[in-house]
Amino acid sequence: MFSSHFFDLQQTRRQFLGRSATGLGTVALASLLSPGLFSAVAEAAARQDTWRGLVNPLHRAATAKRVIWLGMAGGPSHLETFDYKPKLGEMDGQPMPESFTKGQPIAQLQGKELKCLGPQHTFSRYGKSGQEISDLFPHISTIADDICIIRSMQTEQINHDPAQTFMNTGTSISGRPSMGSWVLYGLGSECENLPGFVVLTSAGGGQNQPIAARQWHSGFLPSRFQGVQFQSKGDAVLYVGRPAGVTEGRQRDVVDAVNALNRLSDGNVDNPEIATRISQYEMAFRMQSSVPDLVDFSDEPQYIRELYGTDGGDGSFASNCLLARRLAERGVRFIQLYHRGWDHHGGVKQGTATTAKLVDRASAALVLDLKQRGMLEDTLIIWGGEFGRTPMAQGDGRDHHIKGFSIWLAGGGIQGGITHGATDELGYYAVQDKVHVHDFHATLLQCLGIDHKRLTYRFQGREFRLTDVSGNVVEPILV
Amino acid sequence: MEFQESGWDIKHLVKLMVSSAVYRQSSAPRKDLEDRDPYNRLLARQTRFRLEAEFVRDNALAVSGLLSPKIGGRSVFPYQPDGYWDNCNTFTGPLIYTTDQGEDQYRRGLYTYWKRSFLHPSMLAFDAPTREECTAVRVNSNTPLQALTLLNDPTYVEAARVFALRIWREGGAEVSDRIAWAYRQTLSRAPNDQESLVLANLYAKHRSEFAADPHAAESFDQIGQAALPADIAPAELAAWTSIARVILNLHETITRS
Repeated sequence: MFSSHFFDLQQTRRQFLGRSATGLGTVALASLLSPGLFSAVAEAAARQDTWRGLVNPLHRAATAKRVIWLGMAGGPSHLETFDYKPKLGEMDGQPMPESFTKGQPIAQLQGKELKCLGPQHTFSRYGKSGQEISDLFPHISTIADDICIIRSMQTEQINHDPAQTFMNTGTSISGRPSMGSWVLYGLGSECENLPGFVVLTSAGGGQNQPIAARQWHSGFLPSRFQGVQFQSKGDAVLYVGRPAGVTEGRQRDVVDAVNALNRLSDGNVDNPEIATRISQYEMAFRMQSSVPDLVDFSDEPQYIRELYGTDGGDGSFASNCLLARRLAERGVRFIQLYHRGWDHHGGVKQGTATTAKLVDRASAALVLDLKQRGMLEDTLIIWGGEFGRTPMAQGDGRDHHIKGFSIWLAGGGIQGGITHGATDELGYYAVQDKVHVHDFHATLLQCLGIDHKRLTYRFQGREFRLTDVSGNVVEPILV
Repeated sequence: MEFQESGWDIKHLVKLMVSSAVYRQSSAPRKDLEDRDPYNRLLARQTRFRLEAEFVRDNALAVSGLLSPKIGGRSVFPYQPDGYWDNCNTFTGPLIYTTDQGEDQYRRGLYTYWKRSFLHPSMLAFDAPTREECTAVRVNSNTPLQALTLLNDPTYVEAARVFALRIWREGGAEVSDRIAWAYRQTLSRAPNDQESLVLANLYAKHRSEFAADPHAAESFDQIGQAALPADIAPAELAAWTSIARVILNLHETITRS
């Protein structure tokens, strides 16, 4: 609360908002005092309020301008999706060697007999690159040459919520900013009429593990950087509809009067929160037309609907992917989709098949659609969960696993058609080219033109980073 | 010592603090303090902050006269957007939300049903905690969702409509009298000439627009459960509702300064 950085930020914002008595705001006020002129001026004034980012200019040339995170919540089994382990198949039903598991954190299998469970699905090699991908993904396998599979991910938290928190913030301690907030703080938004960090959720195919809104919170960063959850069906944004009988013009009148009176009172009480309040009313007003336009899928041609497998607006993962493309087109910086359905403690064979079917087509469609629009080259797509699953059986399922799991990336400066890193022969430990979550965060920021060591925020007496005191950029996967 | 000697009387202590000279200072920043105490550590002025989520709503209901003073009882279910709970990321799937009728609609915010991790959206917009963990200090954000809530949530539109009726009935005869009365009710101060003029111009514009568009006036006047009075022309009520909406949306209205 008494951080000098906070004070600096307010000062910067103040200069940046240009709250001078002779500014455009005064012109807008004059137009209200003598009605007839109107809101083009007020709108122009508000456009100045967009945050352009702390990292300006960029630390290095960016290969990505925006991020779409396809969050496979619950923890997809790497052993049924992107990391084929024939040796595990040979050992199916046999005891897991204690050399692997001794002293290691275990979630629900604590105290149980640990036996190997072989891969429940077949794998094939796909594309010119011959990447090995589970046959559960007839669509993702068609983009094998566009994606980089990382098979050596590691995290530090073994239960869903702390692991999600770790994946989002680089720590399991609550109250730190999510990566989307860091990115928005660092780069600002390119979008004048939608939030710069948008979150959507869908569910199906497994236990629907809850996702808390704290996963996209801005933590100690100013609250304007927090993610905004859009509803995946119904009104995308709550309260975006005007009251009955209030036309756009009448709503504009009300917003103009609110802002004019706020400006007048700011002249008396000099409170920087008022400038933010005014710009947020302008944003809110713009959202009242931009949001309905965003979720009006009627302009999507039939071939796009077939590509994604949805007409949009039905709350499905596919619909959210289509919406993600529409958000990306409009300049939204960080788009996070969660599909809650990968927590296959039991029935991992059928479970992964069901969930894969719900996400496969649309995940591939998003990559293909962005590619055909020329947007893949500056959009970083990430597909992955908060952890993987054990090589050991939990009945006919698998438990949570953090020592080795898989994700894939595409676009935005990432090499396609490569596999990075490897787990051991049973898929337990990442043994080659390990990629810790911190390394992953460092790489993500690097793609966006940010040196992860230089994007900091002072809090409780010291500088904090997304990667805190760790993180090495995974250079081999970059173009 | 005071606390101890009062017999550990919490009410006495709170009263002592809020009636102290330090507490009753103006929150306006002073040029001479900018260098000497930029963070107001020495409390040379009052601090200012946005009202907490529950109080933003309580305040609007109180100003309009809708607020129920009832204490205790079960949790209540105020207006909430249709289908909101369909998006609740639970294990069990969609939940049913049944909006309360009558007095329970206007209970204080602390009685609003608290769905842990998936709060009532207007409470969430104003930073009510999700109650997943202990919250020592609430964050205090300033977002477009707050603007949309105050502008479009039927709770606030209805409060504005009911407040408008009071402005029209109790605020005096002239437009400027009524604006001044509304300001006093909400902000405990009179508007200055410029403020009054902004609202008078808005009133004139919307009075004529709603008179020319009676269908709009009627549908606007019917938002919420409160009874629609017969003794006021729909366009008159609608125009004053616009004024009341502006006042309920002011930064000053939702800020303790």
